[in-house]
Amino acid sequence: MADLECRDIRKAYGERVVLAGVDLTVAEGTLTAILGSSGSGKTTLLRIVIGFVVADCGTVSIGGKLAADAGRMYVPPDKRAIGYVAQEGALFPHLTVAQNVGFGLPRAQRKLGSRIAEALDLVGLDRSYADRRPHELSGGEQRRVALARALAPRPALVLLDEPFSGLDAALRGDTRAAVLGALAGAGTTAALVTHDQGEALSMGREVAVLRNGRLVQTAAPETLYRTPADLDLARFVGDAVVVPGVARGGTVACTFGTLAVHGELVAGAVAVMIRPEQIRVVRTADGGGVPARIVGLSFYGPESVLQMELADASATAVTARTFDGTGAETGDEVRLLVEGTVATYRAADAKPDEGGEAATAAAS
Amino acid sequence: MGACLVAALLVAAPVVVTVVQAAQGGFSVAGSAIGSTSTLTLLLHSIEVAAVATPICAVLGVGTAWFVERTTLPGGRLWAVLVVAPLTIPPFVTSYAWANLGPSFQGFVGAAGIIAFSYYPIVFLLVAVALRGLDPALEETGRSLGLSGRGTFFRVVLPQLRPAIYGGMLLVVLDALVEFDAFVGLKFQTFSFDVYAQYQLGFSTSGAAALSFASIALCVILLFGEARLRGHANYTRVSQGARRLAARYTLGRSTVPVIAVLAAVVAISVGIPVGMLVRWFAESSNAALSSAGGNLSYLLPATLTSVEIGVVAAVLGILLALPVAVAVVRHRGPVVTVLERTMYLSFALPDLVGAIALAYLASHWLHFLYGSFVLLVFAEAILFVPFAVVALRATFGQIEPSLEESARSLGSGQLASFWRVTLPLARPGLVAALVLVFTFTLGDLSTTQVLLPVNLYTLGTEFYSNSSTVAFAAAAPFAAVLIALAMAAAYLLMSRFGTVRALASR
Repeated sequence: MADLECRDIRKAYGERVVLAGVDLTVAEGTLTAILGSSGSGKTTLLRIVIGFVVADCGTVSIGGKLAADAGRMYVPPDKRAIGYVAQEGALFPHLTVAQNVGFGLPRAQRKLGSRIAEALDLVGLDRSYADRRPHELSGGEQRRVALARALAPRPALVLLDEPFSGLDAALRGDTRAAVLGALAGAGTTAALVTHDQGEALSMGREVAVLRNGRLVQTAAPETLYRTPADLDLARFVGDAVVVPGVARGGTVACTFGTLAVHGELVAGAVAVMIRPEQIRVVRTADGGGVPARIVGLSFYGPESVLQMELADASATAVTARTFDGTGAETGDEVRLLVEGTVATYRAADAKPDEGGEAATAAAS
Repeated sequence: MGACLVAALLVAAPVVVTVVQAAQGGFSVAGSAIGSTSTLTLLLHSIEVAAVATPICAVLGVGTAWFVERTTLPGGRLWAVLVVAPLTIPPFVTSYAWANLGPSFQGFVGAAGIIAFSYYPIVFLLVAVALRGLDPALEETGRSLGLSGRGTFFRVVLPQLRPAIYGGMLLVVLDALVEFDAFVGLKFQTFSFDVYAQYQLGFSTSGAAALSFASIALCVILLFGEARLRGHANYTRVSQGARRLAARYTLGRSTVPVIAVLAAVVAISVGIPVGMLVRWFAESSNAALSSAGGNLSYLLPATLTSVEIGVVAAVLGILLALPVAVAVVRHRGPVVTVLERTMYLSFALPDLVGAIALAYLASHWLHFLYGSFVLLVFAEAILFVPFAVVALRATFGQIEPSLEESARSLGSGQLASFWRVTLPLARPGLVAALVLVFTFTLGDLSTTQVLLPVNLYTLGTEFYSNSSTVAFAAAAPFAAVLIALAMAAAYLLMSRFGTVRALASR
C-alpha cells in the first residue's frame, strides 16, 4: 500500500498545454476520482503517473519513493507496481482469462493458480470464467477481468481510466460495486479518471476536478457539490440555479427571500447558487413562495425535472428536480420555495442568465 | 533504435559500395557508360514496362482484393490462394513460360505482362489487409447519405485504401525498374540487361556501377515521393470498443461475370507457367525423359540446398526487418521514416549489381566471407527485406499499443512485453514475412548465380542451365518442385499476411 503524490506536473505537446501544474495527493488506501471533461488532460495525468508519458516538469512519488522528476524517469512503468485498467480493458486476445489475470504474477504463482482464483473472486467473477477467451466475454465481464488482472499482483496503487465508459446503466452499477468492493477488500490506493459527475461523486473518497490542465478543486464529494470553488465548477459538478442577491452576515437576500449561506461568506452583491433539488415546487399560494411558470418538463420515472421562468421582469430560468412532479404541465403557474442553505460567490462571477441556460443544458 | 540503424546500414551497404566503385572507375568510364545511347534506350524500356505494368497491378490487385475479401464469392479461400500464387512462382519460370507462348510474347507485351500478372498480388495482399481493417460503419454511413453501392466504393472505400495501393504500387515500380530474372526468357532488353552486359562483356564493374546511378536516383526519388504522397496516412487503427466485422456483399447476378474475370486473371498468371510445365512433361519424348533421368539425381540435393538457403535468408530477413517494422508503427517521425525508406534501397540496384557489390566488399575487407554460404544468404536477405518489412508492418499496425502498456503496468519490461504479448499476437505476420522472403529467395536467379558457393547448385540454377540449353524435359522436374513450393507458400501467405493471432478461436 502506498500513497501517491504528484507535484507541479506540467506537460505540453508543442504549443498545446495539456497539464499546467497539477498537484495531486491520494492518501493511502483511498480512492480519488479525477473528474474532467474530455480534453481536460485527465488521461495524460494518469499516463504520467504510470510512466507511459514523461512530464515536462514536476515530480511523481509513489509510496514516498520518487518515480519521476523534471522530465526524467527514475522508475520505469514495469517497476512502479501500479495496476492499470485501460479505457478499453486491453485484455490480451491471445490469452485465456486465467492467463490474462496471471500475466503480472511471478512464474511459480502463475502455475499455482490460487492467486488467479482469488483475484477473480475479488471482482466477483465466477471461477468457471478462467478458461474463456476475452472475445467470449461481455463488456462488463471484460472490465472485471481487466481489474482482476491489475489487482492480482497486489499493486500498491491502481489507476482506472474511464473503467465504466460504454457500459449500460445496469451493468455500470454492478461493475462499479464490484470494483469498489475489490479495491476496499484489498485496501488498495486508487485513482479513477472519469468525465461522469455521478460516478466521481459516488466513488471517490475525494474528487479532484481537472479543468484546462489545472486541478481547480480537490475535496470530499459533498463539499465539492455543496461549495464548489467557483460558479463554473458549480455548473460542471451538477445543475445549478444562479440568481443575483445581496449578502450580509450569514444570510443572503434574493428573489427567493432571505436564505442561509454555507461555506465562505462574502458581503455585498453576490451570485447565489442553488441546487435544483433544493427548490420545492408548490401549486397553491398558501405557503408563500415566488411565482413562476413551467416552460418545460422532463419525466424520468421516479423524478421529474421542471424548467421554469420566474414570473417577475427578470424571467430568470430555474430548474427544479422533484419527486412529485406528476400532473404538472407546461404553462402551469406554480410557486417556488428554496430549502436548505445556499452557496454565494462574488458578484463578478455572476452571470444569472447564462447560468440558467447552463443549468437547463446540463439537465437535458 | 540502434537495431534499426544497424539493419539500415547493412541494407544500404551494397548501394554505398556501388557508388564507391563507380567513383573509382573515374568519371570518363562512368560518363561513357551512362552516355551511350543504348543505355538510354534500355533505361526507357524499363521505365515503359514499369509505367504500363504498375497501373494494371493496381487495378488487378484492388479488384481481386475487393471480390475475395468483401463479396460472397463461391469458393472464396481457393480464389485467395490462386490470386496470391503468381507472386510465389519464380519469375524466371514465368518468363520461360511466356516466351514459349510465341514470338509476340517475347517483347514488350511479354515483359509488361509478366510484371503485371506476377506482381499484382503485392497490391492484393496490402489492399486485402486494409479492407479487413475498414470500419463497416463508414460504408453504412455512405449508403445512408444516399450513395449507391458503386458510389460508396469510389467515394468511401477507395480513398481509405489509398495508402495500401500506393505502397503496393511503389513496390511494383521499384521491382520493375531493376527486374532481370523475369525477362531472362524474353528477347526484350531492359536496363538490367545493359548492366548485365557491361558486367559480362567487359567485366567492367565500375561501368556497371556507374549505370546503377540511374536506378539509384530513380529509386530514391520514388521512395521519398511515395512517403510524401502518403503523408500522414495512418496504418495503425485507432479504434475504441468492439469493431464489427465487415459485411460481405452478395454478388447475385454478377456472380458469373466476376468469376469469369477472376478465372481469366488466374489463367494468365498461374495457368501460363503451370501449363508450360504440363506441356514440357507431355511433349518430352521418352528418350529425352530418360536422358533427363540422369538429371533427377540432382533434384533432391538441389531442393535441399534451395530450401536451406531460403530458410536461413528468411530468418535473417526477419531479424533485419523486425526493428524497423516495430519502430515505424510505434514511433513516427522523420528519423524513423528515413530508416524505413532505407530498407527499400535494395531496389535501387539491379540484383546483379547488388550481388557484385557484396562480393567486392567481401573480397576486399571480409575475405573469409568471400564465396561463402553466409554471404549468399545475407545478400538474399537484404535483397528481399523490403517485403518482410511490408508484411511485418501490416501485422504490427493492427496490434494496439495499449496491450503492450498493460503488460508494462503488470511488471513486464519492454523486451518481456514484446516477447510475451506482441510477438505471440504477431505470429501470423511473422510467418507471412518468412514465407515471402523464403519464396523470393527460392525464385531468385541473378544473386544466386553470382554468389553461390562453387560446389553448390539450386533448383533455380539447374532449371536455368537446362532451359537455356533448351533441355526442357530436364528442366521440368525442377520447375515442378518450384511451383509446388510456390503453391504451398501462397496458401500460407493468404491466410497469414497482415493478420493478428485471431480473437476468435478458429
